[in-house]
Amino acid sequence: MTETDETTGPPVTLIDAIDMSKLDPKFREKIKSMPNGEALAACFACSTCTAACPTANMWKFKPHQLIRMILLGMREEVLSSNEIWLCLTCYECQERCPQKVRVTDIFFDCKNLAAEEGNIPANVLALAKELLTKGQLYTVTADWEREDMGLEPEVPGLSVEAIKRILKDTRTKKLVGGEE
Amino acid sequence: MIKVSDPVLIIGAGVAGMTAAVELADSGIKTVLVEKLSTTGGNALNLYKAFPTDDCFYCFEGNRWRPGIRKCFYRSALTEQPNIDLRMNSQVEEITGAAGKFSIKLDIGPQYVDPKKCTMCGLCIEKSKAFSLVSPQCQPQAVSFDPEIEDEGTAVAAEKCPTKAINLEAKGTKITINVSDIIIATGYHEMKPVNVDEYGYGTHPNIITQLELAQILDPLGETKGTLLKPSDGKPAKHVMMVQCVGSRDENYYPYCSKICCVYALKHAAILTQEREGVDVSVVYMDIRTYDRHEKYYRDTREAGVEFVRGRVASIEPQKDDSLAIIVYDSLLDKYLKFSVDLFVLSSALEPSPGSSQIIESLGLKSASGFIGATNPETEVVVGNRIYACGSALGPSEVPESVTQARAVVSKILQNRK
Repeated sequence: MTETDETTGPPVTLIDAIDMSKLDPKFREKIKSMPNGEALAACFACSTCTAACPTANMWKFKPHQLIRMILLGMREEVLSSNEIWLCLTCYECQERCPQKVRVTDIFFDCKNLAAEEGNIPANVLALAKELLTKGQLYTVTADWEREDMGLEPEVPGLSVEAIKRILKDTRTKKLVGGEE
Repeated sequence: MIKVSDPVLIIGAGVAGMTAAVELADSGIKTVLVEKLSTTGGNALNLYKAFPTDDCFYCFEGNRWRPGIRKCFYRSALTEQPNIDLRMNSQVEEITGAAGKFSIKLDIGPQYVDPKKCTMCGLCIEKSKAFSLVSPQCQPQAVSFDPEIEDEGTAVAAEKCPTKAINLEAKGTKITINVSDIIIATGYHEMKPVNVDEYGYGTHPNIITQLELAQILDPLGETKGTLLKPSDGKPAKHVMMVQCVGSRDENYYPYCSKICCVYALKHAAILTQEREGVDVSVVYMDIRTYDRHEKYYRDTREAGVEFVRGRVASIEPQKDDSLAIIVYDSLLDKYLKFSVDLFVLSSALEPSPGSSQIIESLGLKSASGFIGATNPETEVVVGNRIYACGSALGPSEVPESVTQARAVVSKILQNRK
């Protein structure tokens, strides 16, 4: 009965299982300890978040799956996933969650953790650099809409220099680098 | 015409049967309470802590309304209430006669130990293996004797018993009684899932059922409440439970066994909150912690119990005595591989062995093998002057069994002038 010969039974060659012992059990606690993670464990995987999401249709991992992956300790997969950056941050998921899990905010926490590890998609990185160097994301040039409405073409009082100075001391600067 | 004094037969002294007996007796009605085992309490006695109060069920919240009586009043009432005729180690052999004047043939087991004299001092248990104490909470409060394993110490034990409570010459008897009403309270039986091959029950000592786990968790049990592996007596750290083993399964029992989600999570809560360094995963199809029991689900998630929606793909015993278990996670659409020390099956709750016989002999309705109501509006009425309560009607929680027993008592009292 206690025969423990591992060769008994056919080997499960067709199943490529995720080895739970190779995952990071502390990841769940890490997210839980972050500002938005308190209710993380309350998730019962009803998938309301995925139903609410306007873009999850395009995602490889849906929102409810990402939360499951966090709970299971799949740190690598979550932090390197594209999905956390594809989130529109519309907060529909968080609004509807029956267990008050702060889904959108948890994805922000994930993005922060990913960024700490230098895991930032190129387009987001480019935007951050733009912000650091120009002090604004979109430079408003003589805008016909403003003109049509009888406003002066330049946005008045936009102090990009002050913002650039402030941004130098921020975490964004540390993560993104860029010219001094 | 039924007289107030006409006796009532109650089959089974579990939660429902005991409640019905005590409440009828208190209303002045003679009851004959027949139990085939040597202690009352039924399955509830083996659950360690019973939900929803997590008390030992004898002290169940529902009894508090009786002022001036200690909470576990059922225990003394069963032997001291003059209107209750408690028949242990006994079975109903035959039921004949019409409603209102049933004739019952009883097979009364021999009473080797007189519960009125036994002080449970333990002397006989020291002298002979044939004596044992089922539980310190057993009722009647007395040791049990098994003549099958009589040894050289048995006679000495009987001789030395300080209160002369042991009579080795005791014989069983057959008696016939007349009763006006019959209450069926035969409870449930936890299926031994030997036939559900994929879970390997019976092929490895560390694959057990929930009721077997309850025995390991019970401080009065063999391991004194420590979570030890049956295989080698070493601590178990990783526990996996799987729900719906034989329930909601057309190959076994098509119904939901209703209370296994709640007691599985009760066990998961005990393991994660009251034991050191134990983690629990629960593999499920649906978690059915109905009604207020949702609290167990929420609390165990908070406590870090890992819920995996899906089914078990394979179980491989390893050289280090662990079980390598692959689970298909249907939410992730991935297979997960776990290393598990103790694999606990939430096995289906089936009708007790005698149910089909009772249904057949009394011409009752069957509801998936349990006793069926004649009219769905009066659940406890199953025939003419025949009633059922508790898990004889289908898996029930303790408060529900108590409520149904009281409904039966009310029906019987309404029929008497």
